[in-house]
Order: sequence, then structure tokens, then C-alpha cells
Amino acid sequence: MKILVPVKRVVDYNVKVRIKPDGSGVDIANVKMSMNPFDEIAVEEAIRLREKGIATEVVAVSCGIAACQETLRNALALGADRAILVETDAELQPLAVAKLLKALVDKEAPRLVILGKQAIDDDANQTGQMLAGLLGWAQATSASKVEIAAADAAEMTVKREIDGGLETMQVKLPAIITTDLRLNEPRYATLPNIMKAKKKPLDTVKPDALGVDVTPRLATLKVAEPAKRRGGGKVADVQELVAKLRNEAKVI
Amino acid sequence: MTICQKSPEVEALTRSLRRFIETELHPVEHTIETMQGPPDEFIRPLRDKARALGFYAMNMPAEVGGGGLGTAEMCFAEEQIGRTSPVLIRQVFGQVYLMLMACKGAQRERYLLPTVRGERNCCIAITEPNAGSDAASITTTAEPRGEGFIINGLKHFISDGDRADYAIVMAVTDKAKRVKGGITAFLVDKNTPGFTVGAAQNMMGQHGVRHVELHFTDCYVGPEQVLGEVGQGFPMMLASVSRVRLAQIGARAVGMAGRLLDLCAAYATERTQFGKKIGEFQMIQQMLADTATEMFAARTMVMGTAANVDAGIDCREQVSMVKLFASEMVNRAADRAVQIFGGMGVCQEAPVERFFRDARVFRIYDGTSEIHRARIATVLMRDGQGPLGLE
Repeated sequence: MKILVPVKRVVDYNVKVRIKPDGSGVDIANVKMSMNPFDEIAVEEAIRLREKGIATEVVAVSCGIAACQETLRNALALGADRAILVETDAELQPLAVAKLLKALVDKEAPRLVILGKQAIDDDANQTGQMLAGLLGWAQATSASKVEIAAADAAEMTVKREIDGGLETMQVKLPAIITTDLRLNEPRYATLPNIMKAKKKPLDTVKPDALGVDVTPRLATLKVAEPAKRRGGGKVADVQELVAKLRNEAKVI
Repeated sequence: MTICQKSPEVEALTRSLRRFIETELHPVEHTIETMQGPPDEFIRPLRDKARALGFYAMNMPAEVGGGGLGTAEMCFAEEQIGRTSPVLIRQVFGQVYLMLMACKGAQRERYLLPTVRGERNCCIAITEPNAGSDAASITTTAEPRGEGFIINGLKHFISDGDRADYAIVMAVTDKAKRVKGGITAFLVDKNTPGFTVGAAQNMMGQHGVRHVELHFTDCYVGPEQVLGEVGQGFPMMLASVSRVRLAQIGARAVGMAGRLLDLCAAYATERTQFGKKIGEFQMIQQMLADTATEMFAARTMVMGTAANVDAGIDCREQVSMVKLFASEMVNRAADRAVQIFGGMGVCQEAPVERFFRDARVFRIYDGTSEIHRARIATVLMRDGQGPLGLE
């Protein structure tokens, strides 16, 4: 079975992000960029499935500017077999990415797509679900364990962490998985694999060639810093607390 | 494109190395510091992990099982490696000498290849009590006896000399010729009769890297123990000196300064005195800015010179300037770090006092700052600015 793993280039998780002065978005000029950590988990899971003999090929995909090639090279260094970049300078929203991925799924015919449950930049948590909807495939989101018995299995078992316990699902293949933090711990890229990644195929396609209109459907009105936390205070007794809640906070 | 721009491969390598160092090595730095030479069973699992990732002997050519990195690539890797402690650097990433590439025939299987694989440890014995920076004045001799040689002399300050399975020993084979064809390198196995490991010489910093004396008393070695050609020990050593200096002094100093700067910036934004974060005091800001700026200068020097070495340009004097500047820079950085940390800076509960002790020898080994200054000034007065790369 072939596995498709979409990866997103995002601001590195160690970077403290700043809002652009005009409030139009996050300033990413001269900022360190990395693979979305949830996507790294997705790549790792796909490689493990290949190592177990369940998957035959792992194809990493990224949508965005030419610099996303670096992110794809990273996926190749971790062990993906080849990569596809859907190159565009346009702003991409989750629905557009899901449509691009659907076009690639139609072309590549994987039986499994593993995505990060969300990207740490916009935290949208939509692409996987939208892709499942567009394809009419089953979806297992926020997976914390994935079990597939054989390469030609018709179903897989996925565990999800829910409030108060674990949910176990039987999922029909082909399917979409989105990864939670505890699914696995991604490996270190080894020096030999990093050097081999240079020689692995990386194809580039344009959204037009896939017949997908990526025009944004949503408009960002304003991006703002979270309100600064104000210091707390001590109250002497219940009366004062109630008075403050009523008169200052105006919540009762 | 700047000279400090990394290729995608180097970017991937440095990221992976950084994560490995922060996850696997930072947590054991304090423990290993107190061990005065970590036992093999402590080192082995860490070294095996590094080997499995291709992080061992990255400086050695790929055809002998090394990482096959060029000088600039190795400097980017060493910059990351400099972010942990010297004993971990040597033991986990390997101190494998490029000079071993001179191994021929059976020597390859016996010395070169197992050392690159991390199975055999090597030490290099050049320094003597009366021959430090002036390495050409060594007095250890190797006189012809039968088909081989009899080695006599005393080496000291030999890093990991007690841990090594064999030593590369520099000895005089022709007193008249000395550096011009009179010094030979020998491969001497640990239990060779006449070769003994002497007293440990405890050092101020770099704890865990043990330094010892090596004694040679009528130690016979056969002709098959000559590394390279008889009389060619010195040129052989000089052939790789630029690369080693840039990577193991220049780039490591930059990495060490980078780690210190991270620690200092974090401390300056956390520590509160007089109702303010200490980072709000301009005198603290000055120290942070000076370290950042000097580190940037050293880094640019390292990478620019590494690019020259990769291009096959003989830039020994530039390498001297890099060695001088980077080693002095990291000492200023460590001194400021101690100052910013205040009492915690001299306390062994925080890591900065270790860096302060570890950094000091950077100004001394591999040619003292003074030797490099003398070389730079001599070349300037004799040949002008050209060889210094200033024209």
C-alpha cells in the first residue's frame, strides 16, 4: 500500500512569533521555519508502516512556496521515498489544500493518507477532515495508535485519546489518519539518509495542472497579540469577592 | 547567499545533531563532569547511538566509513557539537585523526577502519614536557634496530592516553633533518613492551578527558608500525592542521559561545533583582550584545575560511587568525556568562562555571594565542597582507 504524507512548512516551534505592525498576520521574515511537528509524527508513522512491510512506498507532499522543498527534503531525510511539491505563491487555506491533496490522491492512488492533526501556525485542524469529506473516505482523527494487520488489510484499528479514556475504532481502508502528539516519537535524521535524500526524486506541479482553484474563501480581518495577563489580587472575604465580581468583572 | 548559508543537507544535519545533543547529551553533562573519566559502559550506549545515526567520525572520508563531510560542512556540524561538553564530544562523536588516512595495507584493517567504526580508541602523542607549541623540538627518538625502530622518550598531556588502544607517536628518526624529513609517526599498540602509561595529569577544565604521560623505554616497533613514510611525520600532521583547527577549535568555540549566549539570554530574562529583570539593566545588555557580536564575527571567519580550505586555497595564516580570535572570543563569552550569572556563575549547580574552565585551554592548545599572533605578524611584515587574505 502506498501512503501519502502531507507536510507543512511552519514557523519553528521554538520561535516566539510577532504580529506584523499592520495586524495582517504573523511576521515570518527572517524567522526559522521547520516541518510542522505533527506532520513529522505523520512521516514517522508512515515510515514505520513501511518498515513493518505494511506500506510499500511513502510519498511526502507539500503545498506552498518553493522553500517548501526544504521541508520535503527533511521528510526524505527521515525516510520518505519521494516527494511532490505543489508550488504556488498564493495564500492557501485548508479547503484549497484539501482540494489539492484530493487531486494528488486521485493521481497517486494511495490507500492511506496520514496528516498532522493540525499545523502549529494557524491551528485550523481542518485539512484532514476536509480531505476525507472530499474523497468520501473514512477518517480517524487525533490518532494515538495505529494498527494495520497486513499490507492488503481491508480495515485498520485506530486508538484516540478522549476525555477520560481511550477510544478504539475500526476504520475501513482507504482512509485518512490525523496524528496526535503521542502517536510516536520521530527519529533523528541520520547523516547517510540526509545525504541520500539529495538523490531522491522531488517533483513539482502547479495547482492549475491539478485543475484546482485555490482562491481563498476566507478573509482575515485582523490578527492581534493575546491580551496581556493582568496581575491577580487578594480579597479579604466573600463579600468583597462578590462585590468585585458584580461591580468590576461584571460577571454576576 | 551568505557564507554562513547552509545547504538543505547541512541544515537537516545540524537540526538532527542539535536535537540529539539536547535530548541525549545535555542531560548527562553534569553526571559525566563528576566522573573524572567516564567508564566504558557509560559511554558505549551513547557512542553506539551516535554511530547508528552516522554522527561518529563525520570528519573522515566516506570510503573508509566516515561521514565524508567537507571542511565547511564539518564546521557547521562542529558548531553544534561545541554545544556540549568536551568529554562527550571526544567519546560520543569520536576523535578520529585524519592522519590515519596514511594507513597502508594491513594497517587499514588494524587501525584505520576499526577506529572510524568506533571500536578502537586512538590517541596522538606529540607533546613533551619541553616541546609544547614548539612541537618541532621533540626529543623522543626512534633509532633503527634490525628492520624496525627502538623508541625512547616521554610524552605528556596526552588526551585519552589511558583509554587508547594505540597511540600515534611522533619521534625523531634523523636529528639533523628534524622537521625537514627527520620526524616519523609510529602506530604503537597499548601493550607493546617498553610502552607504559604514566601518571594522570589532572586539568582545570575539560574534566573526563583524561590526560596522561606516556613512557617509551627501549620500545621496539617493527617497520609495519610506521604511519606514512619514514621522516614524513611532520608534513603529514601539517596537511590536516588547517581543517582540524577550524573545525575543532574555531567552530567548537563558536558553538560553545552559542550555548553560553542561550543560557545568558534566558537567565537575563528570568532573573529579577531590584524589582527588574536583570536583562533590563544596560550593563547586562552590553555583555549580551558583545558576546553576540563577537560570536557572529568568529562564525563568519570560521565559515569564510572553511570555504577557502574546501576550495583548495592554502590559507594557514587565516586559520591562525580564526584560531586566535575564536579561542579568545569564547573566553570573553565565558567570562561574561559567569558575570551575568553572578554567584550562580561560579557555582557548580549551574553549567556556566564548567564552560569557563573548559574554554581556557582553547587559548593554549594547538598553538597558543601568542604563537599564532607571532606567525600572523611575521607573515605580514615579510609578505604583506596578501597571505592574510586582507587584499
